[in-house]
Parts: sequence; structure tokens; C-alpha cells
Amino acid sequence: MRPTTSLALLLLAACSADAASSGPTIYVALDQQFSEPVLNAFAAELQIDLRQRHDTEGAKTVGLVSMLLEERDRPRCSVFWNNELAHTVRLAQAGLLEPYDSPSARDVPAPWRDPQHRWTAFAARARILIVNTELLPDRATWPTSYADLVDPRWKGRCGIAKPRTGTTLTHFTALRQVLGEEAFARFLDGLFANDVKLLASNGATMREVRDGKLAWAFTDTDDYHVARQNGFPVACVFPDQHEGGIGTMLIPNSVALIKGGPDPVHARRLVDRILARETEALLAAAAGAQIPLRPGVQGPADPAIRPVGSFRAMAWDVDWTAANLGRCAQEWDRRFGP
Amino acid sequence: MTRLPLLAALLFLATFVLLPLGGLVVATVRGPDGWTLAAWAALADDRNALVQLAASLQLGLAATTVSLLLGGLHAWVTVGRDLPGGGWLGPLGVAPLVVPPIFVAMGFADIAPAAGFWPCALLLGVAHAPFVAVLAARGLRGVDGRAYEAAWLLRGGRRAELWLLRAIAPELLAGCLLAFLFTLADHGVPEFLTVKGKTWHTYAEGLFARWNRRAVGTTFAELQSPIVAALPFVAGLGVLLWAALRLRAQGPDRGVVQPLPRRPLGRWRWPALLAPTTYLAAGIALPVVVLARWALGSAQRLEPMSLSFARQSFHKAIDQGLPDLLHSLWLALGTALLVVLLALPLARAAARRQPLLDLLCALPAALPAILLGIALVRAFHDSPLLRSFGGDFYAGWGFAVCGYAARFLPFAALTLSAQVRRQPVAAEEAGLLVARPPWARAVRLHLPPLLPAAWTAAVVVFVLALRELDLAVVLPAANATAVRRLANAVHFQHEDWSGVIALLLLAIAVLVPLLPSLLAGRRLRSLS
Repeated sequence: MRPTTSLALLLLAACSADAASSGPTIYVALDQQFSEPVLNAFAAELQIDLRQRHDTEGAKTVGLVSMLLEERDRPRCSVFWNNELAHTVRLAQAGLLEPYDSPSARDVPAPWRDPQHRWTAFAARARILIVNTELLPDRATWPTSYADLVDPRWKGRCGIAKPRTGTTLTHFTALRQVLGEEAFARFLDGLFANDVKLLASNGATMREVRDGKLAWAFTDTDDYHVARQNGFPVACVFPDQHEGGIGTMLIPNSVALIKGGPDPVHARRLVDRILARETEALLAAAAGAQIPLRPGVQGPADPAIRPVGSFRAMAWDVDWTAANLGRCAQEWDRRFGP
Repeated sequence: MTRLPLLAALLFLATFVLLPLGGLVVATVRGPDGWTLAAWAALADDRNALVQLAASLQLGLAATTVSLLLGGLHAWVTVGRDLPGGGWLGPLGVAPLVVPPIFVAMGFADIAPAAGFWPCALLLGVAHAPFVAVLAARGLRGVDGRAYEAAWLLRGGRRAELWLLRAIAPELLAGCLLAFLFTLADHGVPEFLTVKGKTWHTYAEGLFARWNRRAVGTTFAELQSPIVAALPFVAGLGVLLWAALRLRAQGPDRGVVQPLPRRPLGRWRWPALLAPTTYLAAGIALPVVVLARWALGSAQRLEPMSLSFARQSFHKAIDQGLPDLLHSLWLALGTALLVVLLALPLARAAARRQPLLDLLCALPAALPAILLGIALVRAFHDSPLLRSFGGDFYAGWGFAVCGYAARFLPFAALTLSAQVRRQPVAAEEAGLLVARPPWARAVRLHLPPLLPAAWTAAVVVFVLALRELDLAVVLPAANATAVRRLANAVHFQHEDWSGVIALLLLAIAVLVPLLPSLLAGRRLRSLS
């Protein structure tokens, strides 16, 4: 071999991430500033060299899911920590997930565990209404239901993220099944007729409310909580709690092993650690204020973020939602625009 | 042996630009059942793509007008004028280039609603005004002062100024075209403003959204749509780039002219200060002040701004963002080094033997960084060649450096080829008569005159790599950069420590290029 060729190969080796000696890689859709410190602590505790890849805010979960699908013939990810559930189930349906019955998941309530052990859910966010308390000081006037989005009383004063990615896509897809096709189609028409402000993300809707540009909007509990922590005049309403109401949607995090991913031994230990009760408590105490799914785990300190069991939760079919996510996303792309 | 550096550089261009792009093109017509034009046919029905294209073109025109006003006026009043402080305001024309466009956007969005069309055009115009300022200043310095004086004597002051404007028109237009090109291709700023409440979208945003959402696509046409939609766009950008390069090449060679005489501004002498101060205030001061205020606690309402809050912000920044900052620094340094090593043989070959190489080297500048990133991911994430090698080059620092180098190669290659053309061929021919090996001729004869230009190119590439957001978003190996982290963190109301990271990044962008001059004690020279 010529010296120049040897040098080139040596350089290539020096610039490569050495797959053989490295530990597991985790793809994380949960916001980086919430998940990274937790994962760093886990890596230190488990003494593993953990590589983390975090999604961009603009891409939401879909960016990492797209990457996982792209890499299906050569998986680089060992563990997928998704900040919602439907896309994880979608990956399971596509055959990308490795079954693993984690001992840490035994006390997770049954609806939040895959019977085939391909995924486990934990630490949820609720889809709530964030209200500007300076614009709406009287609690009696606050909106109470998803249906308020199409109430003419709120015309042009409320907002929601476009159902293209993230939790809003999951929410709308589940809502379609819960309401039925006809009622859901009327709801969609109503959004446009009522001049609902359709924004790019839940963060954007929260900002519009926080800054007083909108009276209220749909968002997730973590967005509400950070605004509240920063001193903005906002309150949180768990919608559809009235008798006969559909309830508030809970969207949990989910964790799964990727089939054929690197370092499966340490990856399993990492999954065990992520699914431990202490992790739910950590995530509840963090700025994201996630709601523990397991009874007995300390919830968020903010009393406005209610624990599981103290409110009416929306019953949604995870498998149906996952199976129809792509179809719905394509349809709403055309309807809502980019 | 002498051809080895050139062959290596050509191999790099082929591997990291031409093959990935070719792969993308082929994939758009090769469906699961054979050759098909289904994806292209679907584009014709895509109303969103047309709406986004129209929005991008309008935005590009508006932003370029702002760039022309800010950058053009800055150069016009600081080069060869009796403007108070013109001696140091002039070289500062290049300074806003150090500030990433997303920082400018953060600055504007903090003081006023920036979701509308005109605020977006204004801040993109500010962010890309340095292209106009630098090239217009170059044009003015290249005009022969004797010709200007003759025009003044024969036709009077006003006509002489018009003559001057015509003389620098190629450089001015080239600057405008570059500003237009960068505005069209920019994804990071429009996307940031979308998070801030913008409800209309640009073409580059559309490309990224399509790419990200390929997981929810179900048909071949849907999966290929990001690439299909991008290719006509790239062709258009390529034409713009070609025109910009041609215009830039028509600029006079400043080495053979007498500088412009010092022209009096008369009663406009003090009011004219408004032009450079507005340009620098909008491009540098505003973002820096806003970022500093963030660090002091302006983005939260729990307590007033204070130095103790800034200390907390600093600690959080070190805790959260230091690894990203270091990753950015090493990535930028590696990119600058690699780009200069590649650009030197390419520039010599383009200037002395193959002028078409200039166009080939410039090709990546016509690609939106998002598309280049997609092409690299598609080509390398599962490359059998790299797989057989064992390590994971795709996931490592080296791949990120190669991706960045492919993107920024045009800036160095074109700068250096212009410098090679200025060198007398006779000296090189004389060198051939000396019985020394080729490498010795290269080191002793060819390289020394190019070193100042190579240093300028390295600095420009270093700064551009440090501020790059679009490629960092797409390339997994480049994900952990400070700019990407900032763009994410601000979404989640972490302006406090984001402000500190941004200021540290700016400090690195300024200090690292200045370090050799500061250590050597030499007088600083304008990079423009």
C-alpha cells in the first residue's frame, strides 16, 4: 500500500466514530434541556458511553422517526425516547422495534404498555388550554372544551398548532377517531370559519397567549409550565371535564429498543433506568412538569397540573391513531398548508 | 506527485458534492417499479410549492433592496469620502458577517413583532448586507482615481458620481445577487420566525418540512417530493450564482489603479454618518445588546435584570452549552483547514489551466444548505464502502467537517483563484527552469504569494462554519453545535443562558481570527 493511501485511511479512521468501542446511542425527542441532564446522570450512573441525538424543535418527533426509518437497514440508534406515543407505535407496526420486557415497567398501568413489549409509556403531558389571565381575569369566562375553538364567542381570539407534527398531530388523529368522521370534519371546518390562529408549534401558541396576542390556545402542559415559571400571566385549563365530555388527552413519553441497534446490552440497562419510578419523579420535578403515569410517584409541584386519576382522561385508541397518522398528516398538509 | 493534491481535491468534490447530488436526481425518477416521472408530475399539482416559491422570491427582492440600501450606502460614504471616522468605519463593513443571521433575527424579534413579511425582509436584508458592503467597497477601491477626476473636471460632480456608480455596477450587482441567493436559500431564520408566530412560509422552509416529514409519506411521489421540489429551485439559484460570478469577475483589478481622491461630502458630512451607524447598529449592536439583555434576565418576569442573574445565566450556559460550543469551535477550525488545503490546488488549476473549475467549485454555493445536507445523508448514511471500513465515519466529526467543507469550498476556491490570477506567470515559468522537485517549487514559489489570501479565506470559512445552522440541523454528525442548540433553546424560553452562549460564540468568531495578529503585534488589515 502506498504511503499516501495509508495516510488517507489513517485519517479516515481518526475522523470516524468508532462503533466497536462506543456504547449505546439514544435518539431523544423530548426537549433537550429536560432530557439531557437526566441522561447524562444515567450514563454516569451506569458507567456507559452514551451518545445522544436530540431532535430540533422545528422537526418535532417526526424528524427522528424519519431518520429511524431511513436507517432501518443500518440502525445507528439503540434506544428511542419519544416524547409522544403514536409514532413509537408506528415504528412498532413497521417492525423496527425489538421486544424487551423491562423489569422497571412492571408497575406501569397496562394501557400504557405494549402487550408484545415493544414499547412502554411513562411520564405524560396533557393537552391543555393555556389562558392569558390578564385578558381573561374572570375564571368563569375561561374556555372549557376543545369545542370552544369553534365557538363564535372566541372568533379570532384563540389558537392551536397546525396538526402536522408533534403532539398536535397525535391529538387531532386521536380526536378524529373519538369524535367520528362527520363530527370531526365539522370541527375542522369550524376552525377555519372561526378564524382560529393556526401556528407552527405548541411553543408558538404558548407565546401568543403569554404575550397577550391571543386570549387562549391549545398547548401541552410543559409549555404552559415554563411560561408560568418565567412569571407570565397564564393559567392552565384541563378541557372537557364536564359530564359526558371527552376528557383531556394525555400523551405520554415512550421508550423502545431499536432492532439491530448498537450495544443492546447497555441499551437494555438504559431502558430499565429510564423506566424507573425515579425518572418519572425527576421529570415531574423538572421544568417540563411531566405527569407520572404510575400511582404513588410524586407529581409536579404546580397544582394546576393535575395528577392522573384526578381528572377525566380522554380514551384514545393508540393502535388506530398510529396506523392512521400518516394518512391524516398527508390530508392535513393539504388542508392546513405547510 | 504534483497532481496528487489536485486529484485529491477533485475526488473530494466528486465524493461530497457531485455524487450525492447525482444520487438525489436519479432517485427522483427511479421508483420501486422502475423508471417513472410520477414524482415530477406530482410537483405540478403542488400548490403549496408555488405559493412558497412566490413568497421566497418576494422576500428575496425585498431583503436584497434592504441589503443594497444598507451595504451599498455604507461603502459609498466610507470609501474615499471625508466622512468623520470613515477610516475605521469602512473596514468595519465586513464585521456584521460575523453575526449569524439567526442572532439578527433574535435581536429583531425581541424588540418588535417579526412575524410579518416586511420585518422578515428587513432583518434578512440586514443579515446579508455585508455581501453588498464588501463587494461595493471592493469595486470603489478598484476604480481608477484619475479617471474619476477626469470625469469630475469634464462633467461636474453629479455626473462624476453617476459615472462612479456605473463603474462599480458589476460589483454592486454581484453583491446584490449574493444577498438574494442567500436569502432564498436561508432556512434557519424563516423557521425561527415561524416559531415566533409567522404563518406564511418560504421555499427553503418547505423543503426542510418535506424532508423531515418523509416518515409520514406513503407514496413514492410523497417520499421524493422534497428533492423533486428542490431541483428546479437549485437550477434557478445556479443561474443566479453564475451571473454573480461573471459580474464579480468583471470588476477592475485594484492593483493597477490610483485610489479615488478624497471626495467632500459637504453639508452631508455629518448626516451621512447615519448610513454606517444604521448598518452597524442593525447588524451588530442590536443583536449583541439583545443577547446581553437576555443574559441579564430580560426574557423573564420574575425578577429585574441584574448582574447576579447574568452570573446564573453564565453558570447555566457553561453547564448546558459548553460541549456544543467546543464542538462548534473544532468543527469550524477543521473546516477552515480542510477547505484551504482543498482550495489551493483547485484555485491554481482554475486560474492557470481550467477556468471551468471555478464554476464547479462554486456549485455548492448554489445549493441550499438543507439540500446539500439531505444529499450527504442519503449518500452516506448506509454507504457500503464506509461500512466495509469498519468505523462509523458518517457519525463522526470528520464527516461533519467534510460536509461543511463542501458547503464553504466556493468561498475559499474563488478567493484564491482570483489571487493566483494576479500573480505573474513569468515567475512561475522561471521557476520551472530551476532543478528543484515540484513540491519544493510549490512551497517556495507558488505558496508564499497566496498565503495572505489563504488566511483571509480560512478566516471567512471559519466564521461561516461557526454560524452555520442549516447544515447543522440536517447532518447528524453536526447536530451538537452551539448555533443549533441556541435555535432550539430559544424555542423553550431559555433565553437567559442562550444569550451567554451566543455572546461566547461571537467572541470566538472575532477573537480566533484576530489571535495571530494580536500575538504577532501586526497592524490589523481589513478582510474585505
